[in-house]
Amino acid sequence: MNRKAIFAATGLALLAVFPLAVQNPYVLHLLIMTLLWVLLGQAWNLLGGFTGQISYGHAAFFGVGAYTTGILVKSGLSPAAAWSGLLLGGLMAALIASVIGWICFRLRGPYFSLSVLALAEVLRLVAVNWKQLTNGAEGILYIPAFRSKAHYYWIILAIAALAFVVIRAVMRSKLGFYFLSIREDQDAAESLGIDATKYKLYSLLISAFFTGAAGSFYMNYLGFIDPGIVFSIADISIMMILVTILGGAATLAGPIVGAVIYILVSEFFRVWFKSGHLIFFGILIIVIIIFFPAGIVGTIKERRAGRKLRRAGAARESAAA
Amino acid sequence: MTTRKLFALLALAAAIGLFVPALPAPAEAKAFTVGIPLPLTGAEAKFGEMEKQAYDMAVDEINAKGGVNGVKLALDIQDSGGKPETATAIVEKFITINKYPIVVGEYTSQCSYAVAGVCEKYNVPYLVVTGAADKITQQGWKNVFRLNPPASLYNLGVFSFFEQVARPKTIAILYENTDFGNSTSKAMKDYCDSHGVYVVLSEGYQAGAVDFKPILQKVKSLRPDIVYMVSYLMDASLLMRQSKELDINPQAFIGGGAGHTLPEFLQNAAEASEYCMSATLWTPQVKYPGAKEFFDNFKKKFNKEADYHGAEAYAAAYVLADTLKRSKAATSDDLRASLAGTDMMTAFGPVKFVSWGQFTNQNKMDTLVLQVVGKKYETVWPSTAASAKFVYPVPRWRERK
Amino acid sequence: MSPQLAGQIELLGQVLISGILLGGLYALIGLGMSLIMGVMKIINLAHGELMMVAMYMTYWAFTLWHVDPYVSLLIVCPLMFLLGVAIQKFLITPVMEAESILPQNQVLLTVGIGLVLANLALLLFTANYRSVPVSYASKTIYWDLKLGGQTISLSISYPFLTAFGIAVLLGAALFLFLGMTDLGRMIRATAQDKRAAALMGINTRKITYITFGIGAALVGAAGALLDPVYYLYPQIGGPFTNKAFVITILGGLGNIPGAVLGGLVLGLAESLGSVYVSLGYKDAFGFIIFVLVLIFLPRGLLGKGRAQ
Repeated sequence: MNRKAIFAATGLALLAVFPLAVQNPYVLHLLIMTLLWVLLGQAWNLLGGFTGQISYGHAAFFGVGAYTTGILVKSGLSPAAAWSGLLLGGLMAALIASVIGWICFRLRGPYFSLSVLALAEVLRLVAVNWKQLTNGAEGILYIPAFRSKAHYYWIILAIAALAFVVIRAVMRSKLGFYFLSIREDQDAAESLGIDATKYKLYSLLISAFFTGAAGSFYMNYLGFIDPGIVFSIADISIMMILVTILGGAATLAGPIVGAVIYILVSEFFRVWFKSGHLIFFGILIIVIIIFFPAGIVGTIKERRAGRKLRRAGAARESAAA
Repeated sequence: MTTRKLFALLALAAAIGLFVPALPAPAEAKAFTVGIPLPLTGAEAKFGEMEKQAYDMAVDEINAKGGVNGVKLALDIQDSGGKPETATAIVEKFITINKYPIVVGEYTSQCSYAVAGVCEKYNVPYLVVTGAADKITQQGWKNVFRLNPPASLYNLGVFSFFEQVARPKTIAILYENTDFGNSTSKAMKDYCDSHGVYVVLSEGYQAGAVDFKPILQKVKSLRPDIVYMVSYLMDASLLMRQSKELDINPQAFIGGGAGHTLPEFLQNAAEASEYCMSATLWTPQVKYPGAKEFFDNFKKKFNKEADYHGAEAYAAAYVLADTLKRSKAATSDDLRASLAGTDMMTAFGPVKFVSWGQFTNQNKMDTLVLQVVGKKYETVWPSTAASAKFVYPVPRWRERK
Repeated sequence: MSPQLAGQIELLGQVLISGILLGGLYALIGLGMSLIMGVMKIINLAHGELMMVAMYMTYWAFTLWHVDPYVSLLIVCPLMFLLGVAIQKFLITPVMEAESILPQNQVLLTVGIGLVLANLALLLFTANYRSVPVSYASKTIYWDLKLGGQTISLSISYPFLTAFGIAVLLGAALFLFLGMTDLGRMIRATAQDKRAAALMGINTRKITYITFGIGAALVGAAGALLDPVYYLYPQIGGPFTNKAFVITILGGLGNIPGAVLGGLVLGLAESLGSVYVSLGYKDAFGFIIFVLVLIFLPRGLLGKGRAQ
């Protein structure tokens, strides 16, 4: 346990000082995007991997967060800083999530998934059509405040680390156990007196908050959003799921691994093949689901657990012999 | 494999993965390379491909004549997929790693806008070639120069046609709910509101609908003099076909560019495209030197017809060459100054960057009106540039042969 | 009658016609998914991409060998059936039978399949829009009604009408197949209770193959019928998948008449909504109805679907 903590702390420290050593904007950009996807993966994982509620519409929260910040800056209520609207974006996303949750949590399984997807699409159409508020399809653009990427890097690192700490703490608490029990068998959990809807909502609120914060950050960092980008099913909702299952749903390290691979692969394909990364992701999804359904981290954990059992069994045998 | 080994491996992979693409692409000896982001995949891939071919063709021509001051031009064309996020990453790489002193290109308004922001941030000159949204050159950014007219001015030719020929009393506006559709239709609506043309309907639609008939029937019931549409290719084709099926008969159908000017529009809309007019920035019949040759050579080389997007890209390459020639050195500052002083004629039209109103460094050009006559695009307005006489009002559908 | 009133009646009439005809086509798209969802309980998020594949097949048959789209139904449907069986057999069944933490792995798998199909098409056929310009693409039947001294002209698109007719025929054929043939009964039994069906000696695995095949063939037929009136490019699938699951839920899982009704409801909602409420929100109406039905009518519009 302690080894893990030291390892994690060292890793975090290294990450924190990285931009002091490396100033190359391109490298920093890749790291920032990776951290963004670590954040997104973790957020989805809480609701999907740990609580078993598969949402195909998390782009709704990302978009709400992004537009919260965008509208704040556009209307002059907030300067175009790297942290503009982060908190508010997360809160707005959580607010929308409470509405969506209230509507959709009566539904189970695939019906829940599809209804969130449907509502995310409705939000996208609202963003396209409510032009006075969102600029519609023209999108919102402003020049990012900081020229150096380091500030953005530290902010996303802080949020991603915060999400990690919070989610880890939640999963170790009673709340986490309730989430897991709901995932395993909602009816059994309810028969034990767990208010499934309440706890699903908690999970969703935390998940949406971090997703919204990620969206806000995205707006600040890239300086440009439009409804098709931030509410995108294919680029945001589905990729959040991919990142999580690639690394391993229901593990804490899974989204980290998944995000790293996602960004690396995307960039690799973009540079060397100009295109084709989507086919690769499609094949990757298929391969993972068929052969490594627990994702990379999950499969490793299973194998280690299997090895431990076998070693324990062998030890017992040799002791008995 | 232990978790630790896994993380080590990942870190290694990350390191390799990050630095391999970060290596600058090997540059040819004695070549001046320009970075050009374009959508080579994604929804706009068709246009991206056309512009790439036009850039390539122009650069081949320029290099065949010895290049610029003896230096050959090379293009580093990268695929942005039409996503502003990717476009900005590409341009950041161009500027910070490849150290290109100037950036050219992009197709969609959003990507051009995003790229412009990046270039302005790094103080690197950027030549916008196709992105039409007004605001790209309304920010007061000294690094951003635009070759093509802004969306609000796309319709200048149509406006003068209205004033001198059509004098419509009512108009219905249908536009695609995208950046381009919004800007262009807004310009038309503003013009109509301020010139006494009553807008009976102005509605944005989500691209990709199968059946436009409900809204078209609504348009029909309002009996406008003009039906004005801003659409990309397939929606334009469907809109015209379904207008024919519903027997909608305004005085004219006018498009706002894009879909209504592509060669494929003629094939896809078939008889429904006949007499359809559109604002356009360029046609093969314009009298600018090199226009017809560009069109013919492009057709010979790539077996397809270029439209104004191709002409823009072709001209942009020539503008770049001219800028390079006049520039003292190939640095951002010198190139910016040289670009600002551009005053030349290209196959696309005259190029000179001026500032007026809210626009800065914007090329000011007349725009034209084309019409499909006899299954071909003809320039019909202004009469000075016309290759055929306009047909207005257009014959009713059921009366056509 | 005043011309304005006549105009409004004409508008309503045309909107209703559009909604119904489009609804028939939508119904065909939704039928396949309803069947698959009813029997296997998986959401096939690659449904739109399967339609895209069929559209390309029809396109190439037309472009290379001048096969009329309606004729190529006879080729495309069997081919799509085989593709569906292959996907179910080699990709989906292994996942369905494996243990996993995530309850939705099969659905995610279909996402992956969809991505591969769409981008493979992109690689092979480029992003160019393609169309199938049959001679009757714009053929229209005009229906002039005389009401109160005014003439009301309604136009009915011939290819749309044909698509509607074939969709209804296929729906009826499917309904009869499920109701009256042994194979159909086996499918329904598997849908009702897989374990009980297996206990009855039904090879449920084979049934799932066949069901997916039929679902793919149905959406393939929809694609072939759509080719003459629409256009084609690799990423066309997404919105149609969305419509398919809306229709599936509206109709109730596995409920064939329900899916047809669901398609009509969706078509009418889009047509009426786009004209009388807002064109920009056209796609939202279906989604909103979808969520409302999910919450208030969990068994679908006809009350005969499978509740969750």
